[in-house]
Order: sequence, then C-alpha cells, then structure tokens
Amino acid sequence: MTTSALPALSDIPEGVVPGLLRIENSDREATTPVILEMLRSVYPHDQIFGDYCPVQAYIEAPPRELYEYLADTRSLEEWTYSLRGFTETAEPGLWESYDRLGPNTRIYTRTVANPDAMTVDYHCAWDQSKHLWMIYLMRVVDAQVVFDKPGSVVLWTNCHHPFYDRNPYQDSAPEGRKVWVGDFWEMFSAGHQLEMDNLKAIAEYRAAHGLPLTPDWMK
Amino acid sequence: MDFTDPALRIVPPVSLVDVASYLPGEPVGTEYFTQFSRSERMAKNVMFRAPKGRHHIGRDTRVHEMAEQAIAPLIERHGAQEISNIDILITHTQLPENPVLGAGGEVARRLNMNPRFVFDVHNGGCAAFVHMMWLARTIMLTTDARTALIVATQNCAGPVFTQTEIRKLAQAPVPGDGCGVGFLVKNNSAPILDIECRTYPEFAGDMEFSTGSDRKYWEPGEGQGCVSFTESKVAKVFARGNRLVPEVAHEVCKRIGVKSSDIDTLVTNQPNRLFLRNWHDALELPAERHPDTFDQCGNLFAAGIPVTLDTENQAGRLRNGSVVLMSAFAHAGDFAGAAAVRWGAAR
Repeated sequence: MTTSALPALSDIPEGVVPGLLRIENSDREATTPVILEMLRSVYPHDQIFGDYCPVQAYIEAPPRELYEYLADTRSLEEWTYSLRGFTETAEPGLWESYDRLGPNTRIYTRTVANPDAMTVDYHCAWDQSKHLWMIYLMRVVDAQVVFDKPGSVVLWTNCHHPFYDRNPYQDSAPEGRKVWVGDFWEMFSAGHQLEMDNLKAIAEYRAAHGLPLTPDWMK
Repeated sequence: MDFTDPALRIVPPVSLVDVASYLPGEPVGTEYFTQFSRSERMAKNVMFRAPKGRHHIGRDTRVHEMAEQAIAPLIERHGAQEISNIDILITHTQLPENPVLGAGGEVARRLNMNPRFVFDVHNGGCAAFVHMMWLARTIMLTTDARTALIVATQNCAGPVFTQTEIRKLAQAPVPGDGCGVGFLVKNNSAPILDIECRTYPEFAGDMEFSTGSDRKYWEPGEGQGCVSFTESKVAKVFARGNRLVPEVAHEVCKRIGVKSSDIDTLVTNQPNRLFLRNWHDALELPAERHPDTFDQCGNLFAAGIPVTLDTENQAGRLRNGSVVLMSAFAHAGDFAGAAAVRWGAAR
C-alpha cells in the first residue's frame, strides 16, 4: 500500500512545462473562470471537426451482436452511403469494393477488430491497396455501463490524414476522375452522421423485429 | 361567414413606442471592491472581470423614486396627461422593499395615475422587460386598454452587494442599480413583431436566497442576505444561459421570418462579458450589433435591456424601421424570453 504521495512529474523541474494546469499550481477558484471562458454557445465547425471527425450514437440493439455485425467488412455494404460490391481479394481479409462517390472508384478495406475491447477499425484507401491510410476507428460500448439502459453506444472517430489533402497515388486513380475523397472532408461530420443514422435504423429494425443483427447473407 | 378566414383574425398591433431609464448617483469605481478582496490574486481577478463602474442606490432610495426618475423623460415627450391616463402599469422589482406588497400601487400614486390594471410581477427575473411586454400586449389585445407602462427596477447592488461580508465576494462588483421603463401603445408605430416567453420549471429553485446563516430572512439575527448559486451549479447555470438566450431568440427570428444574422440590433441581459460574447456568436452577429452597458453599469438584471435600449436610442444608434431583438434568461434558467420590435422610437 502506498502511504506517501506518488512522485508525479519528479523527472521535470517545477514550472517548466508550459500550459500545465494542475490543482497544485491552479486551485479551483483560479481554474473555474478558465473553464467557464472555454464554454461557448456555439463552436466553429473547424474547431470541432478540423483534425478529427467524431460521431456517436445510441443504438437500441445488443452490443455484442452489433460489434459482430460491424466486425464483418460486408456490413459496410448495408450501412454506408456509397460503398458497394464487396468482394474479397486474393489477399485474405482484404476486400475490394466501389466507392460510388467517385466514378469507377475502387476502395480497399481491411477490418481490424478486437472482440475484448469491441473496437472495429476499418483501414481503407481509394484506388490502391498497398497503403491503407484512411482509418475509421469505431468502438461499441455496452449502454448498460454508460447510460444504465440496455443497448449500445457506438463511437466513431476519423483523423484528418494528410493524404486527404494530397493524393500521393495519382497514378492509380481512374482516368478522368475529378473528385478526391479528401475533397469531402468538410462534409464528413454530416456524412458520417448520416451513415451512423443508417446503422442505427438498420440495427434497431432488426433488433425490434427479432431478426439477427448479422443477416443470413453475410454468414 | 368563414370563421377560418385569416383576415378575420388580424389583431391590432401593439407598439413599444418609447423607452427611458435612470441610473442613480455617480458611478462607483471598481477600487471600492478591490480594497475588500480577500487576496491580491482575487483583486486582480476582480479588476479583470468586473465592470469599470456601476451605479449604486443609497439604502434609503425607494423603488418609486427610481421609477419616477426613469418615467420623467416619457412625461416630457408624451405629456403628463398621456402618462397619468395609463391603462396598464406593470412593475418588476429585483429587491422588493416590502416583502408583502409590490411597488405598483405606490408608483401609480406618486405619478397621479389611476390604471385599471396594476401588476407587480416577479418571475421574469432578468428577462422581465420581455415578460412585461408580453403581459401588457396580451391585456391590450384582449381588452380595450390602449396604453401600458412597464417598469423594471434593479435595486439590489448598493443595498445588498456592499454589505460588509458580501462586498468581499468575487461576484459583488458585478451588479449595478438602475431602472428602465417602456411605454406601449396599441397602434402600428413601432410594432412588436413577436414575443416568445418560456418557463422551465425543471430549473426553478436552483437560485437561492440565503442569509449566510441559519436564519430565515424575516427572522432576527446574524447573517447578510444574498442571492447565489451553489458553486457546483455555476457551470450548469452558465451552460443553460449559453443555450437559452439564443434558443428563444432563434424562435422569434424563425416566426418573423428574419435570419438572426440579419437582426439590426440585439439587446440582451448582461450578467457578464462571456455571456455577451457567446450570445452574439450564437446568433452570428458581430459584437457591434449587440450593444451593452456592462462596463458602465454592470449587471443591471431586468433593467439591463431597457437601459441599454435607451442608451443606444439616445446616442442615435437605433434607426426607425430596423429590427431590434431582445432576449434574456432569468435566475438559474427557469425563465427565458425574446421579443422583436420594428423600432419606431428614434428621436
């Protein structure tokens, strides 16, 4: 049992880390105004969605089943807005499909899922499969734990990879295509919310009608 | 006869034809409060966040005296007879002098009025000016009453916030005293375009009146009276205020078919600088279209809206025909109101 204070930050001389606000150097009386200053009625879109695109939803469906559904790459055929025609490539676990946001645009997906943490990460890329740089990070949480009610909470975050602004694989783009996936970055927050709403609608319909969340065609 | 014909339901407009205000005495500087600050750090904080000045009434100043001063310019502009013939008198007083009765009767007596409708209203809090406009308009639209006088008096800064224990608190330098009045007439000269008033019972009771001791305020004994929130509620109330004032303002904008960013002038209550910033940000208005009197007067509670309207009007910054939107929330968020007026009181 520890009876003395932990030697927190003892490797760094006091006061040299800029911007550190801890109760030792800024008590509640001093910190409350700092926090109130940070609270706003509205926040600029860029401040919320500039480098990250977080989307989340409560879904009235069992978390384990929802995780298993999402962990199957083919679920994207159902709840995404534009990914269609999934076929597995010769490389196991790597799927090819079309992103119908762009004409003749192939998208490659590898799903990395962890059943213990119920995380489902889709590693994707347009046009080529050697560098899957578009990463969709998803996590299913048991709503019982966080909301004290049955169901699931789905957290979905996307990070603004520099390739969204600059396609380094111009050579593999289909000829004549004028759009690039990163052109849609400003719409990702709304677009992903729309897809999250799709996921919620599908999963809640199946759960409410006694259907398995993962349909037979995916089995 | 087609009773669904909208033409049959056209109601006569009610106008806010004039505003006036009164600020008591010489401004009190912030150094008055910093001398009592509990620490050097707090003194600096007070200097940074508090208004530069505020007006304080003396402990013997009466509500009707403030009201008389505020109404005097209306008498000058509209004639003593028009004001003494008022049909409706509605008063809101932050700190009633007599816990049993309001100021309405005495204000009427002092000004030789004999109104048919006299109301002392309490629940509008910092949004009382909008609340009283709403009430006055409702009475005018349902009776043959033609004129109304609404009186918002903030009188707790000097008497309450300079008490020996209270003046040491960080919030003590923020309130200021003042009185603002509005003159409403059933005509089309400066029509109220729409009003939204909402009560949120779920937030009632979060603002407390305490004596700093066990005694009730009507009991004898120790302690100094003060209105406050518990410290843990501060952030909740702040978040509510951030939301409520734009919410009712947007509702009025929607109903009158004007984008919030096209509003000519926004006038809100003015509890602190952060709210002022957050509210015009939320309505997508530049700060210059959201005038306030915070730095000169502090938080004027219910009087904030009419005092700022009068200040802007006297400075010639409110143009006739422009859309003026008022919005405010009360107490810890249990009431909020917004009203839009096609301005017509420019002088």
